[in-house]
Amino acid sequence: MGSAPAEIRRISSARPRLSSAVEDSESWASGAGEVVTGATGTGTLPVLPALRELLPRGGLARGSVVTVAEFGLLILALAAGASADGAWCAIAGVPEAGVLAAVGLGLDAERTLLVPDPGHAWPQVVASLLDGCELVLLRPPAGAPAPQAQVRQRLEATLRRGRGVLLVVGDWPGAQVRLRVLTQGWTGLGDGHGRLRACCAQVLADGRGQAAVPRTRWLWLPAEDGRVTVAEPAGIPVPDPGFARRLQVVSG
Amino acid sequence: MNARVMVLCCFGLSAPGLFDQVLTAVTAFCPAVEAVEPGVCAFGARGPARYFGGETALATRIIAALADLGPQPQTGVEARAGVEARAGVEPRAGVEPRAGVADGLFAAQLAARRADPARGRPVLVIPPGRTPEFLARQPVSVLPDQDLAGLFSRLGLRTLGDLAALPAGDVAGRFGAAGETAHRLARGLGSRPLALRPPAEDLSASQEFDPPEPLAEPVVFAAKALAEQMHGGLAARGLTCVRVQVRAISADGRESSRLWRHDGLLSAAALADRVRWQLDGWRVRAAAADRGARPAAPAGPDAADAAITVLRLVPDQVVRATGHQLALWGETVVSDRVARAAMRVQAMLGHEAVLRPVLGGGRDMSERVNHVPFGEKGEPRLAAGPPWPGRIMGAAPGVVYPFAREADVTDEAGDTVTVTGRCALSAAPAWLAADGEPPLPVTGWAGPWPLSERWWDPAAARRRARFQLLTGDGRAWLAAVQDGRWLIEAGYWLWASATRRCPGANCGGGWPGGLKGSSWRGLIRISAPPIRSRSCPDG
Repeated sequence: MGSAPAEIRRISSARPRLSSAVEDSESWASGAGEVVTGATGTGTLPVLPALRELLPRGGLARGSVVTVAEFGLLILALAAGASADGAWCAIAGVPEAGVLAAVGLGLDAERTLLVPDPGHAWPQVVASLLDGCELVLLRPPAGAPAPQAQVRQRLEATLRRGRGVLLVVGDWPGAQVRLRVLTQGWTGLGDGHGRLRACCAQVLADGRGQAAVPRTRWLWLPAEDGRVTVAEPAGIPVPDPGFARRLQVVSG
Repeated sequence: MNARVMVLCCFGLSAPGLFDQVLTAVTAFCPAVEAVEPGVCAFGARGPARYFGGETALATRIIAALADLGPQPQTGVEARAGVEARAGVEPRAGVEPRAGVADGLFAAQLAARRADPARGRPVLVIPPGRTPEFLARQPVSVLPDQDLAGLFSRLGLRTLGDLAALPAGDVAGRFGAAGETAHRLARGLGSRPLALRPPAEDLSASQEFDPPEPLAEPVVFAAKALAEQMHGGLAARGLTCVRVQVRAISADGRESSRLWRHDGLLSAAALADRVRWQLDGWRVRAAAADRGARPAAPAGPDAADAAITVLRLVPDQVVRATGHQLALWGETVVSDRVARAAMRVQAMLGHEAVLRPVLGGGRDMSERVNHVPFGEKGEPRLAAGPPWPGRIMGAAPGVVYPFAREADVTDEAGDTVTVTGRCALSAAPAWLAADGEPPLPVTGWAGPWPLSERWWDPAAARRRARFQLLTGDGRAWLAAVQDGRWLIEAGYWLWASATRRCPGANCGGGWPGGLKGSSWRGLIRISAPPIRSRSCPDG
């Protein structure tokens, strides 16, 4: 049979598509395709309620890259919601991650892996972590060269295959959503008295596709009770000289 | 009348592994054996002697069985002798097995010592009832209490017979309880009964590499066979182990030992993987240490020194195998997928590169989270239960430095802000300059909150005064004064100026562990009365 090899080729090329279709249908039908299922469906990983409005689909879209300009409470809060919902979370390249603060926001320490120093082979490390964890928080090492487009694309392919989410500290060309804190102001600290109680922050989200329209939200991050809440306009503290970024004092 | 006891001396086989084999061989003749000391075991001779046709016949058979242990005892003897010679221990004379039978343990031990294999008499049997005669000829130096034996000989009591001839009451009155015990031994009485128990089974598996193996692959391959051997031994007894200890010894005598979680779940291949990771991590660390110590050293000799000579798998915490039931809820189950991913990263970066946070107690932000390598069972170093007065309450900082960053906090005049032993500030802080950053104006502050930890332990004692500082760019800091120096322990910010890159692991530059083991003694009067805090966060 002269056509047998062609037939085999055709079947073998159809097999991945078939298996991915089966996988999709399973995951759409029941979510059973995932080891750990999210409460808000399989298309997104859930986030804390106060952060929903910042994200185009109300959560972290699976297979996407979300960047936050700086490491801090915001990115930990993004990870906390998914972790509280049962997702495994890995934090790579951030030795100074405040796990305690993240746990306060909802992160489950039992389902968290820390890789403080992924080294120069960080793309391989992140790819391995993405195979196991649904959420990987990454800060590429400072000394390492910026990721090549090829490396980024390979990681993004891994991301789509594993249906995970990559949270990146810093810049990542092609990120679906970019978050930035515009202003932050802590309350509760006086001149020699008081203590830090809450922080009111203005967060800007933009990105590509659905996220192209910039959104800005005022958040208590954290609020007095340690949770993340949306700040009511009336409750936003009046900016003082130390509050707004534009009024930053520069020493002589 | 004491029971008949046979004592077997085989000092040449006293290495732990070999002696276990000896005990196993002896249990083939009688079920219960007491290991008196390394190389010496004792057992009741009456029953087995009847079965095997007499005490001499029994002893001869046992000695023959020990010879049948094969070439291992022979090489073992040599190896052991070599080890002892190296360790500065004089190798004991008479490595060949010998046996003695007498009434009571003490006499049987003496009889075994008097047996002479070199002259073809490896067994010395003292006939029943003749033990006192035998003992009477022995010098007093055979008594276990050497001080007393010396005293006896100075008093002219040369043999046990001389001692036994004295009235028991006089000996007890002059030499006390020790003398009475010696007197009873000399008369052939009072040997304690044997503490018989079956020997503990050696469930470990080990392999020696000769010549030493410089490559990891053959060792890992051997580890798989060893793991199968160990699992087989455990399974045959219906046992499993909670952890397994992997020990590797290199040619230069260094040893790597690590406990791996097992729980009866690891296959032989999975255990071999762990051996590979352990060896990889060991090599990486050794290479780094060598580079640090000798930058220009050639790689050749190091590679030979790091070759593996012995690999040993020891089951730890052996428990009865009851099967494994996955937790229904409560305990977090590490799914295979996550475990595979974590272990792949461990294989790349080393065992300690993948950590799991374990929350515990403590007063510092950094010590409240313990990092445990993935795959190991972690307990927090400090229990979370106690209240830990003095810890920072309220919102936890999002950035916690593993090593505190150096900083400088100055007042309006530009002088460093200091804190006295009575917790009085020299001036209100006005500027904060963390290392590598331009000075920032302080717009709000609270403190000092004093903390004096472990004052009872000079090595661990430290006194600090902590502050929360707010700077003009909206960031909040947790800072502390220790030894007159300002340190940044943590930061509360969400966002920092884009010009600065957080320095990460090397942020402690020049401050490795410098927080510990020091106090304020240099600059601050330590004898100050208790400190009154102005505003305490946990108040």
